[in-house]
Amino acid sequence: MDYEQKENMQQPKILSLDDDFSLIKQFIDGDELVFSELLKRHKDKVRNIIYLTLSNTDGVDDIAQEVFITVYRHLKNFRFESQFTTWLYRITINKCKDHLRKKNIRSIFLPLKDEEPVFESINEDTDIKHIVRNAIATLPDKLRIPLVLKDLEGFSYQEIADTMECEIGTVKSRIFRAREALKKILKPLEKELML
Amino acid sequence: MKKNKTDIELLSAYIDGELSPAEKKYIEDKIKSSLELQKELSDLKKLKELTSSSVDLIPESPFFETRLFANLNAKSQSKFNIKKWIPISSLTLVTLALMAVLKFNPNLLDNLIKEQQSNLVGFYKENLQPLLYAADLTNEDIFNFAVYQELPLDKTNNQILKLGYDPKGSEFFEIKKANQINDADNLKKFVTALNFDENEIKNIDSIIGSYSEQISALVLVNDKNAMAINPNIWNTRKLILADILAFAEKHASYDFNKMMPTQVMKLDDHSVAKWVNEAKAMKDNQYIFCTSDSIFKEDFVFDMTEYEKNLEEMTENLAELNEQKAVLREYHFKIDTNVSKQKKNLNWTKQFEVSVDSNLIKVSIQNFVVDIPEMDLPNFDSIAIVIHEATQNIQSVRPPSPPMTVGNNSYNYEYKTGPKKKTKTDINLDSLMNIKNMQNSKIRIEQKESEKKGSKENSIQFFYGDSLIIMQNQELKKEMDKLRKELQKFREDFQDPQQKNNDTIKKDSSSDVEIIEI
Repeated sequence: MDYEQKENMQQPKILSLDDDFSLIKQFIDGDELVFSELLKRHKDKVRNIIYLTLSNTDGVDDIAQEVFITVYRHLKNFRFESQFTTWLYRITINKCKDHLRKKNIRSIFLPLKDEEPVFESINEDTDIKHIVRNAIATLPDKLRIPLVLKDLEGFSYQEIADTMECEIGTVKSRIFRAREALKKILKPLEKELML
Repeated sequence: MKKNKTDIELLSAYIDGELSPAEKKYIEDKIKSSLELQKELSDLKKLKELTSSSVDLIPESPFFETRLFANLNAKSQSKFNIKKWIPISSLTLVTLALMAVLKFNPNLLDNLIKEQQSNLVGFYKENLQPLLYAADLTNEDIFNFAVYQELPLDKTNNQILKLGYDPKGSEFFEIKKANQINDADNLKKFVTALNFDENEIKNIDSIIGSYSEQISALVLVNDKNAMAINPNIWNTRKLILADILAFAEKHASYDFNKMMPTQVMKLDDHSVAKWVNEAKAMKDNQYIFCTSDSIFKEDFVFDMTEYEKNLEEMTENLAELNEQKAVLREYHFKIDTNVSKQKKNLNWTKQFEVSVDSNLIKVSIQNFVVDIPEMDLPNFDSIAIVIHEATQNIQSVRPPSPPMTVGNNSYNYEYKTGPKKKTKTDINLDSLMNIKNMQNSKIRIEQKESEKKGSKENSIQFFYGDSLIIMQNQELKKEMDKLRKELQKFREDFQDPQQKNNDTIKKDSSSDVEIIEI
C-alpha cells in the first residue's frame, strides 16, 4: 500500500508541458537549460518575497541568488510531493530568516540606534505607502512574514502554512495578531490614513 | 471580551476568504447583529487595502540571471575543490587511528624497530668468513699488521683496515684506501737486518703463521660488504709483535739490540707465553660490525672448528668468491646528512665516533661501549718507525755513494796533507744513521747509567722511551755538532801552514825591526 502511494507521488499528473513539474522532469532528465525557464518564471516573485520579508532592498539579490543556487543543486532530488512554488518559497523564507538572524546577531555588536525610528519617519513622511511599509517593518518576523505573504503576495493560508512549515491555525492567528499590531502602530495616524 | 476577540479573529480570516462555510455563515450572522463587528470589519478591510497597496514591486535586476549562472559555475568548481580535501581528511583519519593504536600499544614502534634491527643484524651476520681466507693473507701481511697495524681488506682495490690509538688512548680503526703501497718484503728486510739463518727464518715464519688462525676469528667479512671486528684484535696485534720481537731478541740479540729501544729488551719467552695463553683464554664474543649503512656491536660466536669442517666446501667456493672479490668487497659507506641536522633532537647514546670521508671511514671506540680486554702488553706505538728505519738502513749499507751536499752550499773537501789525511770525506745522512746505529750499544750503556742515577730528565725520556725518534734527533744533533767542530778544526788545520809561515815571517821581521829599533 505504502509502495503504491509512493509510486503515485513520484508520478504526479502533468497538466501541461510547460508547467513547473514538466520543466523539473526535463531538468532531472539532463536538460539543465530548462532551469533558466524556471528562473524566469519565479525570479520576480522570489525577489519580491525577500524584499517584503526584509522590508528593504538591501541584499535582496544576494539572497535570491542563494535561493536559486540551492534550488539548482537540489532540484534533482525534488520529490513532487508539493507544488514547486511551495518548495521554492520555503527555501526563500528560510534564507530570509537566516539573513535576519545573522543581521540580529550583528546588530548586537553595532552601536544603539534610536528606539522608535518608525514614528519619527511617520511624522516627517507624509507618503502613506511609506508609512504603512515602515509600520509593517516594525512587526516581528513571525507576524510580518505571514501578513506580507497573504496581503502582498496573495498566498492562501494553506500555502503560507506549507511555506513556513507550520499549522494553518497558526497562520490564521498570526495574521490576525499582525493586523491588530498594525492597527495599534497606525492608530496615531488614523485620520491621515482614513482608518 | 474573549468571545469578541475570537469573532474579530474570524473577521480577519473572513476578509481573507479563508473561513469554512459554517464559520462564514456564523460570522455573517454575527456581523448583521453587531455594529461593533461591522466597524471592525470595515477597519480590517481598509487596513488590508493599505497593506496590499503599500509595497511597490521591487525594480528589475537586469544582470540577475548572468550573475546567477556565473555563481553556479563557481560553486560547481568549489564543489570539485572539496574533493581535493578528501586525501587530507583521509590522511588525518589514518593519523588519528595510528595515534589511537599507539596510545593503547605504546611499544609497537619500539618493537617494530627492534625487529627490523634484529633482521638487519641477521642479514649482515650471514656467511661471515675469516678475512684470512677471503683476502688471502700471507705471513708478510700478518707481519705488516703486527708492525704497521694495517691489514689488507681488499688487495685489488687497495683497501686496508688500519688499527690505532687516538690521543685520548681510545682504540680506533679505519677502513681506507692505502695512501701508498707499503714497501714489499718488509718481513724479508726485517729478517735480513737481523741476519737470521734458514732455520730461524723457518721458525719466525711458523710463529707468524700460528697467529693466522687467531686473526681469522678476529676479522670476519662476508659478501654483503659487512665486516666484523673482534675488539681483541688490538691486543692480538701487540701479541704477535711481542712474539716476533721476543724471538728476534733471542736469536739475533746483537743486531736486535742495535735497532730496538731499551724497553723492548724486557721481552722474554716467559712473558710472551703468558700473554699468548691469556689471549687464548679470552673468549670475547662481542664483535663490532661495520657495514655499508651502519656500525653496531653485537654478540656473535664464530665457531672456528665448525668453520674448518666446512672449509673444503668453502675452498671450492673460494675460487668463485675470488672472482667476484673485486666487486664484493669494496667498502662503501652511505652518509646520512640528515643525522647531523637531527642531532640536537635525538637523544641517542654515543656508541661510536664515526668520521667518514670520501675514501676513509674512521671509527673511534668508546670504552664504555665495547670492552676491549685489557692485557699488560708493552706499548709499541712507534715500533713501526724504528723497524722501518732499521730495515731501511740495511739497504743503505752499500758501497760509498757519490758525494752529497750538506746544507745550501756544496762542500766537497779534498785534501791530501795533514794528520787526518783521508782522500775524500762524503757527508751522508744515511751513513750518519749507520754510525748512530753502530753506537747504539754505547748509548744504551749511557742510558742504563743515567737510569741508575735516576735523573728526572732521563726518566722522562724513558717514559717516552718508545719515541726513539726524539733520542735519535738528539743524537743526530750531537753528531752534527761534533762534525761541525771537526770541520772547523780541519779548516783551521788547513789554513794553519800558511798562517804559521806568515807568523814566522812576521816574527822575523818584527824581530828585525826590534833589532833595528834597538
